Amino acid sequence: MAPPAQSQRSPSPSQPSGKGEVSDLKMQLRQLAGSRAPGTDDTKRELFKKVISYMTIGIDVSSVFSEMVMCSATSDIVLKKMCYLYVGNYAKHNPDLALLTINFLQRDCKDEDPMIRGLALRSLCSLGVANLVEYLVGPLGNGLKDGNSYVRMVAAVGVLKLYHISPSTCVDADFPALLKHLMLKDKDAQVVANCLTSLQEIWTLEASKSEEAAREREALLSKPVIYYFLNRIKEFNEWAQCIVLELVSKYVPSDSDEIFDIMNLLEDRLQHANGAVVLSTIKVFLHMTLSMTDVHQQVYERIKAPLLTLVSSGSPEQSYAVLSHLHLLVMRAPFIFSSDYKHFYCQYNEPFYVKKLKLEMLTAVANESNTYEIVTELCEYVANVDIPMARESIRAVGKIALQQYDVNAIVDRLLQFLEMEKEHVTAETLVLVKDLLRKYPQWSHDCIAVVGNISSKNVQEPKAKAALIWMLGEYAQDMQDSPYILESLIENWDEEHSAEVRLHLLTAVMKCFLRRPPETQKALGAALAAGIADFHQDVHDRALFYYRLLQYDVTVAERIVNPPKQAVSVFADTQSSEIKDRIFDEFNSLSVVYQKPSYMFTDKEYRGPFAFSEELGNLSIGTEPADNVVAAQGVEANDKDLLLSTSEKEESQGYGNNGSAYNAPSYNASTTGASQSSLDLVSLDQPSAVHTTTSFAIDELLGLGMPAAPGPAPLPSALLLNAKATIDPNAFQQKWRQLPVSLSQDISIDPRGVAAMTNPQALPQHMQGHSIHCIASGGQAPNFKFFFFAQKAEESSVYLVECIINSSSCKVQLKIKADDQSTSQAFSELFQSALSKFVLP
Amino acid sequence: MLQCIFLLSDSGEVMLEKQLTGHQVDRSICAWFWDQILTQGDSLKLVPVIASPTHYLFQVVREGITFLACTQVEMPPLMAIEFLCRVADVLSDYLDGLNEDLIKDNFVIVYEILDEMIDNGFPLTTEPNILREMIAPPNLVSKVLSVVTGNSSNMSNTLPGATSSCVPWRKTDLKHTSNEVYVDLVEEMDATISRDGTLVKCEIYGEVQVNSHLSGLPDLTLLFANPSILNDVRFHPCVRLRPWEANQILSFVPPDGQFKLMSYRVKKLKNTPIYVKPQLTSDLGTCRISVLVGIRNDPGKAIDSVTVQFRLPPCVVSSDLSSNHGAVNVLADKTCSWTIGRFPKDKAPSMSGTLVLETGVERLHVFPTFQVAFRIMGVALSGLKIDKLELLNLPSRPYKGFRALTRAGEFQVRS
Repeated sequence: MAPPAQSQRSPSPSQPSGKGEVSDLKMQLRQLAGSRAPGTDDTKRELFKKVISYMTIGIDVSSVFSEMVMCSATSDIVLKKMCYLYVGNYAKHNPDLALLTINFLQRDCKDEDPMIRGLALRSLCSLGVANLVEYLVGPLGNGLKDGNSYVRMVAAVGVLKLYHISPSTCVDADFPALLKHLMLKDKDAQVVANCLTSLQEIWTLEASKSEEAAREREALLSKPVIYYFLNRIKEFNEWAQCIVLELVSKYVPSDSDEIFDIMNLLEDRLQHANGAVVLSTIKVFLHMTLSMTDVHQQVYERIKAPLLTLVSSGSPEQSYAVLSHLHLLVMRAPFIFSSDYKHFYCQYNEPFYVKKLKLEMLTAVANESNTYEIVTELCEYVANVDIPMARESIRAVGKIALQQYDVNAIVDRLLQFLEMEKEHVTAETLVLVKDLLRKYPQWSHDCIAVVGNISSKNVQEPKAKAALIWMLGEYAQDMQDSPYILESLIENWDEEHSAEVRLHLLTAVMKCFLRRPPETQKALGAALAAGIADFHQDVHDRALFYYRLLQYDVTVAERIVNPPKQAVSVFADTQSSEIKDRIFDEFNSLSVVYQKPSYMFTDKEYRGPFAFSEELGNLSIGTEPADNVVAAQGVEANDKDLLLSTSEKEESQGYGNNGSAYNAPSYNASTTGASQSSLDLVSLDQPSAVHTTTSFAIDELLGLGMPAAPGPAPLPSALLLNAKATIDPNAFQQKWRQLPVSLSQDISIDPRGVAAMTNPQALPQHMQGHSIHCIASGGQAPNFKFFFFAQKAEESSVYLVECIINSSSCKVQLKIKADDQSTSQAFSELFQSALSKFVLP
Repeated sequence: MLQCIFLLSDSGEVMLEKQLTGHQVDRSICAWFWDQILTQGDSLKLVPVIASPTHYLFQVVREGITFLACTQVEMPPLMAIEFLCRVADVLSDYLDGLNEDLIKDNFVIVYEILDEMIDNGFPLTTEPNILREMIAPPNLVSKVLSVVTGNSSNMSNTLPGATSSCVPWRKTDLKHTSNEVYVDLVEEMDATISRDGTLVKCEIYGEVQVNSHLSGLPDLTLLFANPSILNDVRFHPCVRLRPWEANQILSFVPPDGQFKLMSYRVKKLKNTPIYVKPQLTSDLGTCRISVLVGIRNDPGKAIDSVTVQFRLPPCVVSSDLSSNHGAVNVLADKTCSWTIGRFPKDKAPSMSGTLVLETGVERLHVFPTFQVAFRIMGVALSGLKIDKLELLNLPSRPYKGFRALTRAGEFQVRS
């Protein structure tokens, strides 16, 4: 691929102007190939350097392959290395030419210099050409028995490389057994470590195929092997220690004595200069003591100092990785770190991502004894030049306020922020004051006095404006000018771009009206009129709803819009404790840095143990059909966005208002009856379903028979599917792994429908008309594979389908997994009827 | 397990590509990565560990060069980052610095080094002493040598002795004509001082750096007069941990050359050697600023290289600053630096002036943080003292040298 644009504008001086230079090089190399004149090596070296530098820039120099090989007969080791580098880069794409190199590489494998033997063996194994593996077995076997540890070390990794090119060759040559022998016997620690990494990978991959490999993999975690490694741990270099420690962390000791022995043995690893070793050790400690609560606590105490030192000692990048882990631990056991809060103070010139982590830790460790200092420190950041940082700091202050009992001082501080007259500070603080009032209504008096002084003109951000309006409505009695401020806001209705604010405005003016009718009547009328004329569906609906509600009965309206509220005691946590535990299990891995368990981000495990994920990965080659699906969905996208945004808002704001105003729609639903609400759903679906069918008509393949029939209507059973269900591939994959197969069926297709099967790419679109969505597809004639997804209309219960179609034999294999297994039969019928319509329109 | 390492120049050009496994990582990942940097505006603002659509990327930036590593499998992030840092250290050690030209001129050496440092994605040898024996650095001496002897190989023909030595960081038969060892205490003081002059946080991060040129297999013992003040310590692999745990004695067989023997932290210090008192008062669109700097606790040695740096708030349109000692510079990005150097004997340095604020801004709401730098030769401010250094197993009496140095780390004063 081309390097980024800048580099093209300023090419490096060594960049050749065109192809001419490469062919020129080819000529020169050819002349040198047979020459034995003194000084040839120096000339060669210059030429080789040029070739490699072209290669580095990204110019294809594979055309000089044969000349390079011809020139490779040399005793100069630098020349050899450059040649190995070159060969390793191009052999894979030129397997025929690679055969040329085998000869000289094999010869070098027998060189008397161990360094050359090692390098040659490494290059030989790195060629990566499948039909040359036969030439690899011999040198590798010799390499493993070589007298020099450097060669054995290279050979141990070479076996793994061979395994990745051709697993059967590697296993047939009995290399795993040889490696195991070396691993347990070799006196060189690096050889042992390399054997371990190779064996771990080979046996993990083999385990699915052979029971013996699975047993061997288990045996790595057996007591004698683990003890063997532990006893030699000091011989290993720092990186190998990490690998061994990773292995040990998987070991399950039989009793607590054993745990203490291991921890005593490893304790000094915590003082290692390499942070990776320290972190691996910490992982071992944490995992081993998980079931021993007291000791686990002590472990936290013990690892605290090394972690804090690591944070302050290394480069910013290292600090970040350590901080991520520290963050995890602090979140799990904040009380242990509460006396070390000063370590989480932010430095002025730290990058924002570091400061953010630190702020979260400061919030977590705040308790009665240190809150004052922490909040004082946070207030310093609010005056910071850095706006995102100031915002985060205010949020942190708010969070601390919400988790503390004594919020007296904090509320004062927050109110001081409002007096700073900086827009972003005011905005952020308003949102917080709102949350605070929901938890501590007793503070309303003090807060309202200050909030009342804020001119609504100075608040522009939707979230802040919404918060301010909420307070105006909620505390209409206490705020003298509330009706008039609201009135002026309503006058500018058309300039208010955020639907969220307009929604809040409607509710606030309702509340205000119910408390101070004479003053608000005019404003309410204006608001309802503007709301009903609003182009935004939700605003329109709500205005209409309020209007009818008032028409129906004002006391009912009072009960719905302005019921007595209870203070919120606990705000919902964003991350479930289950997920936090998962991340903790994956300590010292990327999960911690991303703050997600690995299944949420490793969508495609590289050579991973899950067969399914590989399948899905391969299947996604069918990107084109996927694009089509996206395009088809695009029609609905607008509708869907609208719907989604409402429901989301209601979730987040629902408890925001303590279930007052925003519960109104559901109240509505329950009065009119469930049947009607589901009818509503259908009628809502209709237009989009018609839409999709018309777009399908272009495909000429499908045709639902009656274009007017809405998608879900023709379903034979009571099972209704959500036409707009969505799921992201990761979530699908995770679900697929979790759920058992609830139904597995083989069905035959009517042979008359084979014609339709010649173009299975249209199947996803067809199924979508039946509210069954394709998530991945692929394959080549005659075998095609699809993964489908569907969701029940009223609930979140989902169905996952794997569908393998053989178009020549007209057979279809179905595998259905479902949240609600009892309905999977019904779903299967539905699926099959949809499929049969595809085959025979 | 890493799959590929790229070295990128400060314009995003791929200077070097080292594939580590059979899985070839396409170069386009670099273009994607560079786009990310451009959207962030600054490579330092990008999180060191990021996920691209196809790979997980680790990046470390040194002297404008980005070391980018890719992987598709779960692995300890710190291992990858530590390794990249080590690569950067080794390269800058080898090439005597780190910049685009040096890497491009010596790319063959860089390839050779990477080849020995990592195999199939697992780090191998990262000890600079050992690498040096496998691949000779491209220094002047070896260049002269190659011209004179006609042997232009920069490779040693033998494998490093250390691979067979029982002390992996040292080869067996070292010989030096003059036996000497230098021990340096280098400390950095991190402090945060609040508006009212109270010390919010003050601690010292220190390192014991040793430069050893000793023959044979010497055994060294280093004793501190007051080891109890150390809060947390971290050692080079050569240090034997038992004697430290038992008696706080550092016993070790040193690698040859310069290395970091140990690092430590001393918490909760009560005093800083200098004070910085900024004062800002603003009214009617102008702001008066004055900064006083002076010695608070005389460390007994001269304090030099004193500078005070801060960034003018964005709402400042122009500034007029002057000082009674040293030079004041305001750069285009509103960074203001006041270079004081040594403290004058007769007066306390002060800087004062006025800042003009944007129209409409009456008073200053954001206040700058002042970053202070200084250096004190001959003193370790933590109070750590070396008691004695004993050397065993040496053919002749060696020369021993001790030094100490304290400089400001993150020394910040708020206003």
